[in-house]
Amino acid sequence: MTGVRATLAVCRYEFRMQIRRRSLWITIALVAGALAAGRFGMGPRYAPAPPGAPAREVMTRWAFLFSVILPIAFGMALADRLLRDRRLRTAELLASLPPGPAGRLTGTFLGGVAATGAPALAAMLVAAGYETVRRGDLTMIPWGLAAFAAVLAPALVFVAGYALVCPLVLTAPLFRVLFVGYWFWGNVLLPATLPTLTGSLLSPIGSYAASWLLGTPVLYAGIPGPLPVLRPEPTGSAAAASIALLVVAGLVPLLAVGLLRGRRRTA
Amino acid sequence: MDIAITGLRRSFGRVTALRGVDLTVRGGMFGLLGGNGAGKTTLMRIMAGVVAPGSGQVRVGGYDMTTRSGRRDVQRRLGYVPQDLGFYPDLSPREFLDYVALLKGLDDVTARRRQVGELLDMVGLADVAGRRMKGFSGGMRRRVGIAQALLGDPALLIVDEPTAGLDPQERIRFRTLLAGLAGQRTVLLSTHIVEDIAQTCHDTAVLAAGRVVYTGSVTDLTRTAEGATWQMTTTGAPPTDGVVVSAVTREGGTQYRVISQARPSPDATSVAPTLEDGYVALMRRHTPAPAV
Amino acid sequence: MTWITGAASEPAPAAGALSDVEMWRHEAGRLGWATGCTPVVAVVAVAAVAVLAAGDGAGRPQVSLVLLTGLEALLPLAVAMAATSVVATDRARELHLSLPTRYATVLGRRLALLAGATAVVAVVFTGVLWAAGLWSGPPVAASPLLWAPATAWLGALAVFVALLTRSLLLATTAAGGVWLAHQLFASGFAAHAWARPLYLFPVSRLDAYPGWMTDRLLLTATIVPFAVGVVILLRRPERMLTEEDV
Repeated sequence: MTGVRATLAVCRYEFRMQIRRRSLWITIALVAGALAAGRFGMGPRYAPAPPGAPAREVMTRWAFLFSVILPIAFGMALADRLLRDRRLRTAELLASLPPGPAGRLTGTFLGGVAATGAPALAAMLVAAGYETVRRGDLTMIPWGLAAFAAVLAPALVFVAGYALVCPLVLTAPLFRVLFVGYWFWGNVLLPATLPTLTGSLLSPIGSYAASWLLGTPVLYAGIPGPLPVLRPEPTGSAAAASIALLVVAGLVPLLAVGLLRGRRRTA
Repeated sequence: MDIAITGLRRSFGRVTALRGVDLTVRGGMFGLLGGNGAGKTTLMRIMAGVVAPGSGQVRVGGYDMTTRSGRRDVQRRLGYVPQDLGFYPDLSPREFLDYVALLKGLDDVTARRRQVGELLDMVGLADVAGRRMKGFSGGMRRRVGIAQALLGDPALLIVDEPTAGLDPQERIRFRTLLAGLAGQRTVLLSTHIVEDIAQTCHDTAVLAAGRVVYTGSVTDLTRTAEGATWQMTTTGAPPTDGVVVSAVTREGGTQYRVISQARPSPDATSVAPTLEDGYVALMRRHTPAPAV
Repeated sequence: MTWITGAASEPAPAAGALSDVEMWRHEAGRLGWATGCTPVVAVVAVAAVAVLAAGDGAGRPQVSLVLLTGLEALLPLAVAMAATSVVATDRARELHLSLPTRYATVLGRRLALLAGATAVVAVVFTGVLWAAGLWSGPPVAASPLLWAPATAWLGALAVFVALLTRSLLLATTAAGGVWLAHQLFASGFAAHAWARPLYLFPVSRLDAYPGWMTDRLLLTATIVPFAVGVVILLRRPERMLTEEDV
């Protein structure tokens, strides 16, 4: 029980520290604002839903509009969170405290995800509020929350796992470059150009969840390419599988680092 | 190098660090005392040309620090050891000093190498001159800091909190080193450790809440507590009237050293004040009493 | 120790040619291998992707396009991120601000070294591609127009945002976000005559439309506001003492 409590404490304080970063709020606000303002010129996929469209479609369109670039901010924001302890010279102090590395890592991950997701959730709620007023439909808010949970949240969890762990090996600047490159390659680049995971269950851009919510394939969901097993028809169960896979894949690097650190501590 | 400051104010956003500082320094070793957040570091940074003054006049060696060219002129005659001197851990002390020397404009290779070598010798780092600074102790890092400040033989040396975190031996060594450097140059020593000032400076200024509340000799500062320094031993509660400077538990009770205008208890005896007592007495005068 | 007299009042003379060489050597060290090697890492990564594509059965034109994209798009992104690190992190910043050499000069040298390394890597990479018959870009003499304007523009944006906000998060997201937006919304830029000169990747994404070279020069001109902003911000380097919220 003490371990759980300690993990929750780490989570709570990581959340507090991260959510107080003004630059996080400003970054998310600027990116979301730029996407919202530019959506009319970004092609029909990103254009606002037509008048009379159901709340589900309206808010899913907002979610996948945000999911195109917002996760870049998630990655950048989380890239230095584990390195930070070393930089701020708190690593030694934290290592001397009873919670083990696994507990600290879990707490940092949960707190970081929650805090980084908060401004994105706020952006979705602002969009939902705007649509509620504009279209006079109160269900925009619950659908906004649902679209956030299905499209943006799994992307955040997936990105967070790698953004926390990879800089420990690659250094933060190198990770940032590779991450932007990865995002383009793994989510947008068509398999016809290069072997890529675009349009697969492992595309964190949320193509399967968005396709399921919209009832029509978007963001290349299910497009033929390498690993056909990861490219089923975009149905509800495929969307659920995609969400589950993304969350599990995001936890893999954390698990690896947790095991490594635990072993180092007991060695 | 003389320093003359009048009506200096400096704010950072909503926080006012300096609220009208007036100060004159006339060469030799000069101490700047003050608690945490008193504004010492801001004042030091302004005198080092790191931060521009907000308003007021600051002249260092006759140069006007409110102008960019004035700050640049002072920096060409300055050695500065910041409170948090960041290092490049991948460099050896010799490489670091060589780099700083180049940035200070020491062009002549032979003279530069000689200076670097002599300074490393002087601060006792000659044996580790080629080793990377990654694993250096706090004391060794401070010594690298003072060595880089002395490059180019500056007329003004500004040292911010140099002994914080050092062990007693290292602190004494550092103080002696600084005192030895104050021959014909001005050495400005900022610290919150009263003992450092007592052992090295003739003159001092005390900063509190962004204002200079005292300037004068160290001896006069000590005298501030004359007739107000008491010693008493009791088994009861600590004295409430005045500021307890020290408390030592002995067999017959706890011996307190108290700064108070009135005798804190009938058996309290008046004792000769130290600089620390003088500082506490002064700060007591300039700090509002805590709300009850 | 004859020189420690405490009487020195005359400043040291200005640095000459020899110390300049040593200074550049020192600054190369401060740039760090990770940052200095960024352009190399970028082209090696591109080459690796090209090899993978070839192994997957991609034809010569496709492999050539991948390599060209690397030079036009990945290199600028990598260099912009590296430039952000140069500006945003320095352990001895306060000490630098107290020295007679302007901190802007110090940063300028480091950025110039990064730019130099980028140019060398890009030129060598172009030469290798051309020699291997994999070059599908503009005439080799005009090849710097492929990578230089985009690199300078994205780098200037990143440095400007880093100096303005003192936030690595904002600076890297700005560079990454703009890069991604240019990749995603290429058709949006192509659709408007006013937006086309501002497009960063006209060769790999817009098939080197007629007049793209002139547009590259226009893009280069739009760096001026960023450069002016950087100069203004560096006139008050003490702003950099307050780090980003970590």
